[in-house]
Amino acid sequence: MSEGDGYPGLTDPATTVFSEAQLAEVRRLQSLYPDPRGALLPVLYMAQETFGWISLPLEEYVATLFGLSPAHVHEVVTFYTLYFREPPGRHVVSVCHNLSCHLAGAPGIIAHLRQRLGVDPGETSEDGRVTLLSVECLCACEAAPMMQVDDRYELNLTPTKVDRILEGLA
Amino acid sequence: MPRLTVNGKQIEVPAGTNLIEAARHAGVEVPHYCYHPSLSIAGQCRLCMVDIEKAPRPTIACNTVAADGMVVLTETDRVRETRKSIMEFHLINHPLDCPVCDQAGECWLQIYYMQHGLYDPRMTDEKVHKPKAVPLGPHVILDAERCILCSRCVRFCDEITGTGELGIFERGDHSEIGLFPGTELDNKYSGNVVDICPVGALTDRDFRFQVRVWYLETAKSVCAGCARGCNIEVHVNRRRPHHAEGRRVARLKPRVNADVNQWWICDAGRYGFGFVDDNDRLLAPTRREGGTSSDATWDEAIGAVAAALRRLSPDEVGVIASPRMANEDLFALRRLLDICAVRRVGAQVPPRVPGDEDHILIRADKNPNSLGAELMGLGGDARPVLDAARARQLKCLWIFGHDLMASRWPEAEVLEALRAVETIVFTGTNANRTSERAHWVLPAAAWVERDGTYTNFEGRVQRFRQAVEPLGQALAEWEMLDRVLAALGEAPSATRAEHWFRRLATVVPAFAGLSYQALGDTGRLVAGSVAARAPR
Repeated sequence: MSEGDGYPGLTDPATTVFSEAQLAEVRRLQSLYPDPRGALLPVLYMAQETFGWISLPLEEYVATLFGLSPAHVHEVVTFYTLYFREPPGRHVVSVCHNLSCHLAGAPGIIAHLRQRLGVDPGETSEDGRVTLLSVECLCACEAAPMMQVDDRYELNLTPTKVDRILEGLA
Repeated sequence: MPRLTVNGKQIEVPAGTNLIEAARHAGVEVPHYCYHPSLSIAGQCRLCMVDIEKAPRPTIACNTVAADGMVVLTETDRVRETRKSIMEFHLINHPLDCPVCDQAGECWLQIYYMQHGLYDPRMTDEKVHKPKAVPLGPHVILDAERCILCSRCVRFCDEITGTGELGIFERGDHSEIGLFPGTELDNKYSGNVVDICPVGALTDRDFRFQVRVWYLETAKSVCAGCARGCNIEVHVNRRRPHHAEGRRVARLKPRVNADVNQWWICDAGRYGFGFVDDNDRLLAPTRREGGTSSDATWDEAIGAVAAALRRLSPDEVGVIASPRMANEDLFALRRLLDICAVRRVGAQVPPRVPGDEDHILIRADKNPNSLGAELMGLGGDARPVLDAARARQLKCLWIFGHDLMASRWPEAEVLEALRAVETIVFTGTNANRTSERAHWVLPAAAWVERDGTYTNFEGRVQRFRQAVEPLGQALAEWEMLDRVLAALGEAPSATRAEHWFRRLATVVPAFAGLSYQALGDTGRLVAGSVAARAPR
């Protein structure tokens, strides 16, 4: 795993810590569950939002907040796909490859994205602009093929529409 | 106490007993991988499915508590079919590399496939590949392709050692056990994960590829590594000596004893047998005169020791016995010292480095029989004996096992003592810097080469049994002491260690009523021991 390329501070465990306000939020989340461990997922999302991705030192830090061994935090981080274990690009493009989208032309959309970005799904373009992911159903079958760009759904895709969307990404 | 029937047999089990244990009460073995009686329930492997009357479908036995009136069936067609299917799932991505797998012969995938699988493989796709031969730490090596993800090793590190090194990473058929990147599996009990791994995923780096397990012979024994006295099995390789370059003791495995060590042993004990087949073993009695040493016969050596004991006044003789000697040895020595009226005797020699201790099994006292020596009246501090030697009061000093040069006693003082004594007799298994300075060296059999008993720190007397022949001409200490006693005119009394134990049991009050038969496989407490008064 390559750590921290272009992400200042993230490889230094000393800077990978929460603010007082965030620690208070951690405690609040932990108090919501019969076993405080239940708050591990939301706390990891907090960590990802704060630091961009989940580095190994960050896993170790989160483990200390829960009294867990780092191996158990690593289990959770590696189980779920929405935690980034490497720095993602500035934008994340997740193309649905599930049944409805597949039938409606997702393979062509993915091929087009691969060609335009020069990367395979799971990779980040060389300029650090876009991380391309190919994902399971995002619940927008009525508008297949579709993809998610950061927090936004882009529906009824065509190659032309994809090009326009990509042009809009800084 | 719920009453239930298992395969038609009515049984009563303590409340809270799960169905695997309940079936065991009824003499029925429910196949399982992930369940282990000392670990939490994972319900991971799904193999322990049983039918319960009125339940719509088979249920996992490990996570089902026995209830009053339950009717459990472990061999219905439906259960058999379920087991077979689960075996097929477990083996979908298994590499089937049994011919080169160290677990072969004691692998529960092999055993259960033969008992419950026996289907023709239907997989036509390429199997998922995972890391192979990955060292996890000093003792354990991982083959992730062979792993069935039962999580026993993960739970062991979480629940028994509390060290949490292992986890199951990734997801689905890409799941694999592993360490947090950059860490090692190096806790003091790491070898146990190999024992509880039901398949060939975790194997023992020390034992691996030494010998096929079906060539091993076993003897029930007790670990001699500390005062706990963990119950073990000694696995020896006598049938394929060329496989392991002369190494006879192949491995030590824990043996269950609920009162002593549960299912576990520590790594120090598990891998601490190297001295048995080491090149520095003492193989024949040796005489050293004027700086040169030569082999002697046992008769010459015994004769020399007996002559010294006969000739010298009791105060000119010192003995440093050892809490590593068996009860039988110590009692024979006690007898000899009583006959000769020798009073300068001790057994405790301080180790250079204090022993480590924890709250699991490991005891700071690294001697297996300190309490036995104490009960025999031989457990005292050996320092006065050393001082007597330094003060030139001793003409003969008999040292059992200890390397005084490696003790916490200042080396200069030990050297001074050894130089001041006319006849130094050393009895031990391996050469050391003390034996090098002895005038007579009497080779002793290692604990795996003889029978005997140790008394652990709680007062539990436990048997260890011979697993291999003594190397060279080595004898158990009780045997050589017996010969010295005979040379001094005592009627020969023992042809087996057990004979000395019988005498000991009639003389030393704490051992009253004990016999080898009474000790059985798991030992008995001496009278008046703390543990006997307040059982755990």
